[in-house]
Amino acid sequence: MRLLHVATIGAAIGFGLFAGAAEAATDIDLFFPVPVQGKLANEMTRLVDVFNKDHPEIKVTAVYTGSYDDTNLKTHAAIQAGKPPAVVIMSANFVREYVINDEIQPLDPLIAKGGQTPGQFMDQFWPALRQNAMDQGHVYGVPFHNSTPLLYYSVDAFKAAGLDPDHPPATWAEWLDAAKKLTKRDGGNTTRWGLMIPGTYDYLGWITSGLAMSNGGQFYNPDYGGEVYYTQPTTIGAVRFLDELVHKAHVMPEGVTDANAVTTAFFQGRTGMMVLSTGSLSFVRDNMKTPYRTAFLPRNLVNAVPIGGASLIIPKGNSPARTEAAWTLVQWLTSPEIAGGWSRFTGYFAPRIAAYDLPAMKTFMSEHPDAKVALDQLAYARGWFATYNVIGVRKALEDGVQAVLSGKATPEAAMAEAQKQADALMRPYVEQTALKLPQ
Amino acid sequence: MRADARLLAALALAAGALLWAVPFAWMAVASLRPGGAGAADLASLLPSGPFDLANFREAWTSGHFPLWYCNTVLLCGGILAVQCVTISLAGYAFARLRFPGRNLVFTAFLLQLMLVPPILIVPNMRTLISLGLYDTLLGVMLPYFASAFGVFLMRQTFRTIPRDYEEAAVLDGATTLQIIFRVLLPLARPGLVAFAIVSVTAHWNEFLWPLMATSSPSNQVLTVGLASFTAGAEAGSEWGVIAAGTFLVAAPLLAGFVLFQRQFVSSFTFSGIK
Amino acid sequence: MTAGLLLLPSAVFLLAFTYWPVVQVVIGSFAERGFRGATHWGFGNYARLFADPHFGQALWNNALYAAGTIVPSVGLALLFAVGLRDNTRLSAALRTLVALPLLIPLVAAAALFVFIFLPGGGLLDWYLAKLGVASHNWLGDPSLALGSIIAITVWKNTGYYMLFFLAGLAGVPQDVVDAAKIDGANAPQRFFHITLPLLGPTIGFVTVIALLNAITQVDHVIVMTQGGPSDATTLLLYYIYQQAHQNYDLGLASAATVVSVAMLAALSLVSLRTLERGIHHES
Repeated sequence: MRLLHVATIGAAIGFGLFAGAAEAATDIDLFFPVPVQGKLANEMTRLVDVFNKDHPEIKVTAVYTGSYDDTNLKTHAAIQAGKPPAVVIMSANFVREYVINDEIQPLDPLIAKGGQTPGQFMDQFWPALRQNAMDQGHVYGVPFHNSTPLLYYSVDAFKAAGLDPDHPPATWAEWLDAAKKLTKRDGGNTTRWGLMIPGTYDYLGWITSGLAMSNGGQFYNPDYGGEVYYTQPTTIGAVRFLDELVHKAHVMPEGVTDANAVTTAFFQGRTGMMVLSTGSLSFVRDNMKTPYRTAFLPRNLVNAVPIGGASLIIPKGNSPARTEAAWTLVQWLTSPEIAGGWSRFTGYFAPRIAAYDLPAMKTFMSEHPDAKVALDQLAYARGWFATYNVIGVRKALEDGVQAVLSGKATPEAAMAEAQKQADALMRPYVEQTALKLPQ
Repeated sequence: MRADARLLAALALAAGALLWAVPFAWMAVASLRPGGAGAADLASLLPSGPFDLANFREAWTSGHFPLWYCNTVLLCGGILAVQCVTISLAGYAFARLRFPGRNLVFTAFLLQLMLVPPILIVPNMRTLISLGLYDTLLGVMLPYFASAFGVFLMRQTFRTIPRDYEEAAVLDGATTLQIIFRVLLPLARPGLVAFAIVSVTAHWNEFLWPLMATSSPSNQVLTVGLASFTAGAEAGSEWGVIAAGTFLVAAPLLAGFVLFQRQFVSSFTFSGIK
Repeated sequence: MTAGLLLLPSAVFLLAFTYWPVVQVVIGSFAERGFRGATHWGFGNYARLFADPHFGQALWNNALYAAGTIVPSVGLALLFAVGLRDNTRLSAALRTLVALPLLIPLVAAAALFVFIFLPGGGLLDWYLAKLGVASHNWLGDPSLALGSIIAITVWKNTGYYMLFFLAGLAGVPQDVVDAAKIDGANAPQRFFHITLPLLGPTIGFVTVIALLNAITQVDHVIVMTQGGPSDATTLLLYYIYQQAHQNYDLGLASAATVVSVAMLAALSLVSLRTLERGIHHES
């Protein structure tokens, strides 16, 4: 009977442990998607500890939830299980899908308590961030940390290739030319590439949309979540440019390179330039042994970049007490001091304009010209694409661009296929909205 | 000539086996080598100093290893404890009792060998949610409480035990449960140990189901925690830290294997062939 | 009566988490739900599933993956088992090396192999460069990515299968082998004419296990490639995962699950006999 006994005790302990978690009214959880390795997760944990100390009536638990895509998946699962998290740091462009699916509440009533209109509230943030945070005049997300794609380049590689590090490429033509000069070959092997970009999911869609935007395009319908423009000339041109870099100029490796491989190659001197998020500034600063600098994403027709990064959202289904506590946390996290500190720590820029008026921030910006470039580029930033079924719609594009990068499809064919798939994914929504006749 | 061929074959085998160990060798070297993000000799397998434990420190402080170990042990232990009961009872029924439709029921049981929880994630999540067990360790365990594999194994093991023992116990007035747990189980120990090792290895290493069935950090297991090391959002990878984290996850079972190799090997083989 | 009671605890959990879910996905696969629309019943999900090129790709990938993992891992396992069966210290040590991967989680193996496959600076390319081989984008080139995923699986599972073969070999009667030796049969002859036929049931058993693994394990795909590049590493189960949790298309996910379950059920009916033979072989 001993085994049975042990089993019963085990089960009893198990049940007791999991049933016993007490529910206090002000226990709230914060889902956050930063890489746990390295310092970002530690810093987030530290911030939450500070908050908990300052607010004895609230107890926040910080929940690390993986990548942006994983965080989205986890949040959906939790909402469907009837256990919505109180606050989520959600990729800014996913917010619209939560609005469409009616899973998120407008923050207007909470903002009104502080005596502000939604417009006044959003005026505290950089203009480029407002589009992804609002929908039809209501505020749904509060920008927390934001980024744009940035060109990083190695000063040593530039000098060795006869390029002037003080004049980084500003147009696609100069970019291609610089990449050609930076590429170093040894027989059939390339010992240094001119340029590398991350080609994995999420990153690739973001960078491609940046190229399409700097090609004069819009990429998606900012006012309606059922339209994307993958087959427009501006997008096709951007994909053709990538194809040119890989298959004609041979200055970028073929196939898909993941973000970790890109940074590792940059640190090891195996690529002269890379495109990466401003959110990676601190990581690059800490690990790059030789001098490097940053520049705007080069333009073909206009300077333009998509906003990346994340907003804080409060899902529906939280009790009034939890919502109240969540709002306190959101306000604290986006205050100029905290947002500024997080920005200096990570490299993301602070969405609060006032953060840059603080003395600590002024000192930091004068000491780190690479961060200054990121901030300056904000003047040209636009919202990132937000649609119904946004991850699938984005992956449709990425699968197409990956096929082009791998030499498996022409830009035109790949984008036609991507458009077809994206349309199919958005169709249920489109049929119930834009195509629905009044009855 | 024949000796040459034999030597050559032996060398090839040894080379193959050593090749198998390369990933582990790199893990060990890289986890001890400081500054693992962009050094040129990142890939080198040759240990070159100076070594330190910085990567382990960083992995340890940025993950919640004590909690993950604790959850993983609870998960494996909880599953195993319940399994031992369910498989002993069912294994006995199939080994010793005659009842109508026995073969049909047995086949129905064995279907579970194929229909493993990962493939049924979508409906099983719904079941957990409706039971209110989403995001609990108990919820992660539930689908595994019945084990077709274990039932099968116990049936085979019980069959190898002579009936004399039971008959003596019956004469002493023992109940069926007493026969199973007092008489047969002690004799079926090799089968049980084998099952325990296979079961713990399987659940220690499982990823997808615990990933989907939990969301709070307090319920994360080692594999889910480790995955967060490798899936960075917008920063690059610190390979040394990843190697150290991987080592921390794999270490307990690796140590167990090296220490109790004979037991492990015979368990795995016993589970397949007996 | 007693039998019913003894089977009850197992049956409850099997019903709740194996049979009932199968019924659920079958029902779910006929439910067509639009955005905010009413639910229709019919074969629409299956029509969409079979029209979806991603599903066809996933099926094809899975077939390649199964063939690509089973043949080398079972073959190598057999080779290692035959070569390392003797009881010397060296053989025992080498056996340990081959068996170690079976103890680490597939996600841990994936974490190591992400670096091994890193283009240019990774372990594989770094050493290949010393041999003068140009660098490859192992995980990022659609024509190599599935092969790389296969390599991890072979590395991870070969040791597991080797253990089964070692046990199988222990059951090969030594006197038969000795008799053949006296008759002048050389080592390959003895292997092909005596050992291999006797190992038949074990090979069948291992093959079924390997096939099962090929369909039900996608942890490394989730961690390393997310099915990319361009769907090159999307396996069946990953496709289901994607439809269910990323596109929230439960109809499509259910239909795909039903198709996989049907394949697995067919496989189990065919192979239960093989499994049982393999397991009985010795007793």
